[in-house]
Amino acid sequence: MDRKKLLEEGFLEKYLLDELTDKERQYVAEALASDPGLRKSYDELEADFERMAFENAITPSPQVKERLFSSLESTQTRTISRTWLWAAASLAALFLLSSFWMYRQWKVSERGFEQLQEQTTVLQDRLNALEENYLLTNQRLKTINGPQTIPLILHGNDLVPNARAVAYVNHDNKMVVVNAQGLPQLPEDKTYQMWSDVEGEMINMGLLKTDEELITLTYIEQAESLNITIEPAGGNDHPTVEKLIAYVTL
Amino acid sequence: MPHNNEDISTIQRIRQKDKKALQLLYDKYAPALYGVIIRMCGNKEQAEDLLQETFVKIWQKIEAYDPNKGKFYTWAYRIAKNLTLNTIRKKEILIQNEDLSVYKEKEDTEPQLDVAALNGAVSKLEPHHQEAISLVYFKGYTHREANEQMGVPLGTFKSYIRQALQLLRESYTKDFILIGILINLF
Repeated sequence: MDRKKLLEEGFLEKYLLDELTDKERQYVAEALASDPGLRKSYDELEADFERMAFENAITPSPQVKERLFSSLESTQTRTISRTWLWAAASLAALFLLSSFWMYRQWKVSERGFEQLQEQTTVLQDRLNALEENYLLTNQRLKTINGPQTIPLILHGNDLVPNARAVAYVNHDNKMVVVNAQGLPQLPEDKTYQMWSDVEGEMINMGLLKTDEELITLTYIEQAESLNITIEPAGGNDHPTVEKLIAYVTL
Repeated sequence: MPHNNEDISTIQRIRQKDKKALQLLYDKYAPALYGVIIRMCGNKEQAEDLLQETFVKIWQKIEAYDPNKGKFYTWAYRIAKNLTLNTIRKKEILIQNEDLSVYKEKEDTEPQLDVAALNGAVSKLEPHHQEAISLVYFKGYTHREANEQMGVPLGTFKSYIRQALQLLRESYTKDFILIGILINLF
């Protein structure tokens, strides 16, 4: 569309009167920006329309102006209220953030509490184990230290000259406890075994482990002596007398 | 009214929410805008409300006004025209939906204003030129509605507008030259 057509079709008037579609308005605005002659025509048109409006002006009642400015005051009050609204919104946001922070802290504390509970359970287990261990040790100590208990030392013979084991025998409660930690370590396929000699017959009392402090063995009535032999791993039904390494008479 | 620096600085102050500047603008433009609004709606009370609403909108939307695109008055005129036409249309819909007899009774009690008559250069134009300008500028009709109102083809109506504007231009230019001569004489 050229300038002539814009003028003839009344596009400038329609532009001024706000009658155009968005697309047409955009087109005229661009034409005005790029064509100084067209812009001059539009400026004249605007000036004429404005002058005509001033020639036909009617003075409104003074109350309109009063009402207008009092309404703007209340608008400003609303603006102030809006400021408060912003403050309230900020506080709400702050509250939200702090709530979130507290929630996270709570979660962290909860995790810490769970860990503490786990540790407490572990500690409780250890305490129970220790208590059990203590009771056992105490019981053994009582056994060993009791007035009826006879401590007997078994010295190694020439096969194991430095070997040493201690047996605690209590005839009252029919108990035998042995500390075999003084015996030298054996290969895996061998074990120490203890026997009671009753009227010439060797009766099995049990195996001796060198890694345990006190081993409870079977008490044999009327035993005359206690004997230690080296046997195949797992023990033997009959003692290998060639491998007798220590004995003590009761 | 020429587009002057005074307006620009007043508008700048309104942008900074200076109410005294809005008062200046009101004093200068309110009567011209009220002349348009009251001719469009024909009701004094409603026209006053619309004038107030127009200036509230000017106050709120002043950032949207671009002096490079046209005069302040044109921008304000568009606001006033759109507000007025929207109100009239809402009222028309209301009339269609309500009991007409009740509404008519109400209408009859309102004083009818004799504001249709135009003044100044436009009043000296021939009646058909005057009516064409009045319809599009003071009544808010579109070109298409106005030509139907006048009962002439759209092309003829456009010619009326062009001729009327040409005559107005000549009239104002003559006044301008006359003022120039008088200034030179004295």
